[in-house]
Amino acid sequence: METLALLWDGILAATDPGIFACTILGAVVGLLIGALPGLGPTAGVAIMLPVAAGFGGVAAIACLGGVYYGSMFGGAITSILLGIPGDAPSVMTVLDGYPMAQKGEAGRALGTSVFASFVGGLLGIAGLVALSVPVSGYALAFGPTEMTAMMCFALSLLSVLGGRNVFKGFVALALGFWLGMVGLDPISALPRYTAGSMNLFDGLDFSIVAVGLFGLAAIFMSLEVNVDKPVAKYTFASLLPRISDAVRTRWQLLQGSVLGFFVGVLPGVGASAATMLSYALAKRISATPEKYGTGIVEGVAAPEAANNSASYGAMIPLFTLGIPGSATTAVMMGGLIMIGLQPGPMLFTENPEFVWSVFGSFALGNLALVFLTLLLTPLLAAALFIPTAYLYPIVIAIVVYGVFAIDNSAFNVMLTIVAGGAGIILARLDYPAVPLILGLVLGPLLERNIRRTLIQSQGDLLVFIERPIALGLFIATLLVLLIPLFLKLMGRKMIAADEAEV
Amino acid sequence: MTYGLCNLIGRGRVAGLGLLAAAALAVTPAAAADYPERDITMIIPFGAGGGSDTLARTIAGVIEEMKLIPVKILPENRTGGSGAIGYSAVAKEKGNPHYLATVSVSFFTTPLLGGSPVSYKDFTPLAAIAQSPYIMVVPSSSEYQKLDDLKKTPRFTTGTTGVVSDAALLAKMTSNALGIQIDSVPFDGEGEVMAALLGGHVNVGFLNPSEAMTQMTAGKLRPLAITSAERSPAFPDIPTFKELGYGDIVHTQLRGLVMPADVPQEVVTYWEGVLEKVATSEQWKKQYIDRFYDVPDYVDAEGFKDVLERTNARYETMMKDLGLIQ
Repeated sequence: METLALLWDGILAATDPGIFACTILGAVVGLLIGALPGLGPTAGVAIMLPVAAGFGGVAAIACLGGVYYGSMFGGAITSILLGIPGDAPSVMTVLDGYPMAQKGEAGRALGTSVFASFVGGLLGIAGLVALSVPVSGYALAFGPTEMTAMMCFALSLLSVLGGRNVFKGFVALALGFWLGMVGLDPISALPRYTAGSMNLFDGLDFSIVAVGLFGLAAIFMSLEVNVDKPVAKYTFASLLPRISDAVRTRWQLLQGSVLGFFVGVLPGVGASAATMLSYALAKRISATPEKYGTGIVEGVAAPEAANNSASYGAMIPLFTLGIPGSATTAVMMGGLIMIGLQPGPMLFTENPEFVWSVFGSFALGNLALVFLTLLLTPLLAAALFIPTAYLYPIVIAIVVYGVFAIDNSAFNVMLTIVAGGAGIILARLDYPAVPLILGLVLGPLLERNIRRTLIQSQGDLLVFIERPIALGLFIATLLVLLIPLFLKLMGRKMIAADEAEV
Repeated sequence: MTYGLCNLIGRGRVAGLGLLAAAALAVTPAAAADYPERDITMIIPFGAGGGSDTLARTIAGVIEEMKLIPVKILPENRTGGSGAIGYSAVAKEKGNPHYLATVSVSFFTTPLLGGSPVSYKDFTPLAAIAQSPYIMVVPSSSEYQKLDDLKKTPRFTTGTTGVVSDAALLAKMTSNALGIQIDSVPFDGEGEVMAALLGGHVNVGFLNPSEAMTQMTAGKLRPLAITSAERSPAFPDIPTFKELGYGDIVHTQLRGLVMPADVPQEVVTYWEGVLEKVATSEQWKKQYIDRFYDVPDYVDAEGFKDVLERTNARYETMMKDLGLIQ
């Protein structure tokens, strides 16, 4: 109750015209940066940092926060309309969003992503204000050993995303693991698979690869069909979001938000992994898993709810402990220091008004983004009325600009094009691209945490089962892998139907 | 029309270069008197919002605010290759006194690992304006009250960002001095290191002053010793390793600036003057020292050069010990 009163005061404080204007500015900039393929929340917050720092106090952090969650709204736009992930956490949105747009349901898909972003944001904020302290303790309990177990559990859930051919799915996953090793070895610092090029030292940026693999590949392949017609046929009604979709996807929204929040809290894991888990979980417990990937609203709702709530989860270690758990929150921490605040455990006790006003601005910004994006939805979806002969060259130009802008690097642009070429080859040979992306994101996390654990334990493998959280997660992993096998032996369906399906 | 415009700009540039060349020829011995003749590019080899970026932009901001030079400083982020791309861009401008960069750990380590075509030898040290010590800490819940208590336990782990870092170096130095074993577990960022320390997944930490301050104020971490030669004004109660009897453990990160190799001595003297004013200014104290709890300290070009060489030698020895390089 007291928390609610504090939040209410915070919301009132955040309605101050100056602060509100900065919140909206941040949210709109975030929306645009999120929508620009390649550029994501980290780049967005970094770009706005010098500007926002000038606002000072609550307004500065309200603005940076706006960029962060705004980009989570914006990332879905190009994922759905063009099949090009706007940023790393919206890669999974492509899987069902893009097929929906091709079927002429772009408005519904965009609408669902807005509802999902809003619900994810709302529950994320609720978690942020109500559960920060206990949840930050939970985040700290995850050391390298627990993270290793967590990644194994994640991979067991994600095995459902392998596509029709299990063998080809694993080949793509292995390819992703391998690509994740490119760069300086995270533990011993020696270069691996860099061919001597220092451009590859920092590894392959996941969003750059995803933009090429999904986006450019789709554009290149479409050149074989008619290029003088729009992507799909539309009626005016198809451009409008449907409120009923929000009701229909309520379970995916809830489950995605909760999962996203708890995964987002973990230092170093991030929103992208949260969206993958959320999508996989939704598919796994669905009674009709085969429909995922063909263009259904549930497949848009699950990842979009997760990435928004993950962005609030990621702020918990920052605000309660002074620990930036992700690249984006590290830049936000820079913002806190620049306005003269010391992020950390004392922030809540020494500057409660500041913290609650910032949280209040999150609530307002989240609400404002819903109206903003819902108004924009028909307009954005109408972009698909443009014949692809005109649309695609513009899109390619924007993609090149967005990828270049990440590091002002022409090498990254080449990398996107190469990834696009690789995407075509994979599609031609019928290898799924999703496991490759999963490997690229989760492979490095798994490798690093296994090696960290073994340094700590001096090579003793028993630590993995000596620690209770890790043991629990390993048991859960085994159950996820064995239950379908068991059910199959019992002559039942591969995947259990769950009451969660609507 | 576009062509015409390009042509015009092109001609203008050629004419300008011609004039410049003529001027340079005419007054070569006194060239430094006119220095700097154009804006200075400050290359930041790391991303916006990070530690290096904040340092570089704050220095540029203070110089601008105090109007210490007649031209502008233009900060530019050139990221990639663990710093190699940005530092190479500066080194390439051999003899050009209009390029600046700050030093960082990667300034030494990436070249040593064979990851960069340029090393510290390809730069002219100008001066350092602050130093950042490291503070050795343990969680408050731990049984170790002072440094020597660590001798009771044979083995510890610490978190570092990357295998070759100041924290890893200090872990090695402390291990040798105390006769214990502190193994470094490399993480992906300072935030992850802090989470591992607070979560009890590693036992000791070697932290930046600002990181340590936050958690010490909150009562989560206990300081054992600081790596500066003398006690830091920001932490008067933390003993130095030196006064605890471990005189070998003195290691700080110097916040300093470098230019490409072969810039004229006059330019170095010019920047020594500018940076000395920065180091002693109220603006620098307020905008950087007080925020990051660094130790204000001015080191001239000669002294800074020695520190660069010593730091490089330390990293080199450590990498050889680890078997990373021959």
